[in-house]
Amino acid sequence: MSEQVINAQSDFVLPASVVTKVDVARLAIEAERIDNELTASDVRSKIGSTAQVKPVMTQQFSDFIQQNNVSLDNSHDRTDLIKQLRQLKDRVPMIHMTFAVTADLESLQQLTQWLRTSVHPQAVIAVGLQPALVAGVYLRTPNHVHDLSLRAMLDGGHDLLVEELGALRGSR
Amino acid sequence: MGLFQHKKKSNNGSSDDDTGAIEERFFDENFREELRNHGRWYFEKIITENGDVFKKELDTTVEQISIQLKEHVIKQLDITIEQVNIELKDHVTKRLDEQFLEYSRALKDAQDLAMQSLNRSAQALEEQHHQISATLEENVKKQETELNAAFEENKAHIASMKDAQNTAMESLNRSAQALEEQHNQLNDTLKSNVAKQEEVLVTGFESNMAQIVEHYLLGALGNQYDMKAQIPSIIQELEANKKAIVDDMKL
Repeated sequence: MSEQVINAQSDFVLPASVVTKVDVARLAIEAERIDNELTASDVRSKIGSTAQVKPVMTQQFSDFIQQNNVSLDNSHDRTDLIKQLRQLKDRVPMIHMTFAVTADLESLQQLTQWLRTSVHPQAVIAVGLQPALVAGVYLRTPNHVHDLSLRAMLDGGHDLLVEELGALRGSR
Repeated sequence: MGLFQHKKKSNNGSSDDDTGAIEERFFDENFREELRNHGRWYFEKIITENGDVFKKELDTTVEQISIQLKEHVIKQLDITIEQVNIELKDHVTKRLDEQFLEYSRALKDAQDLAMQSLNRSAQALEEQHHQISATLEENVKKQETELNAAFEENKAHIASMKDAQNTAMESLNRSAQALEEQHNQLNDTLKSNVAKQEEVLVTGFESNMAQIVEHYLLGALGNQYDMKAQIPSIIQELEANKKAIVDDMKL
């Protein structure tokens, strides 16, 4: 059972709308809420209530259910899903990305998509903001940082700029 | 009543008595009074007429007399005035001749006095002229002497000034030469200093220019790039560092 859950968790496909670790946590919370609602509905139906409860889902959760072919009809399956999502939230590979400007959702989705196709299929990002970077991204993986910002590029090109100015003066 | 006092009386007695009686009856008092009044009126009329005629004649006579008197007076006055004029003319002529004689005498005296005075003044002026000429000649001689002395003195001064000027010119030439040499030295030093300063400034400028360019780029581009515009370059950079990222994620 545990092996099966781990395998299932590692096989989850995260939809493009799930970008950050918070989104994954939100999936787990929403799964718990829906499980509660469906369990309450089952209890009501057992005591004779005919009212059918159709749980309200967010777009993220709906995409997740659809892309992973997960069924919510069985209480046992729902419990497994909640458990796997909690584990996924704790283990999901995360990359910190700090930008110079506020990142919009569409851009974040593009970046997440690239990470999932190029680095890890379940990668999520943690977003930061640092205007001093001017442009580009400051990337922090679990063990390294990669300064891909324009400021770092200018710092690296300072000597080159001085050399070019000297060459320009010499040519005059 | 008076009128009939001188009437001759007739010699006939009876008739005279009758006539007298008749007259007495006829010439009563009233009639007499009337006659008297009539006579008085007639007398007054005659008197008045005679008075008017007399008055007219008197006026005419007075007028004629007046005219004649006037003519006579005028004639007499003309004669008198003519005589007075003649006498006055003679008198005035006489007096004028006397005055002219007196004036001529006085004028002659004054002329004589003026001539004497002028002669005296001319003599005095001549004397003064002689004195001034003499004084002037003396002064001219004195001035000539002084001028000669001053000329000689100035000549000596000019000669000494010329010597001093020549000395000063030589000194100035030496100073100018020294100044030119100093100027050349300063110029060379200044040029070398300027070149050094230029080198320092240019070096500093290049160093600062790099910072300025960076600062300008940071300021200019900082707010220009939005996230969507950066995405392709970010992905390109990620692709370039893909291997390092993947390796790190596998650790």
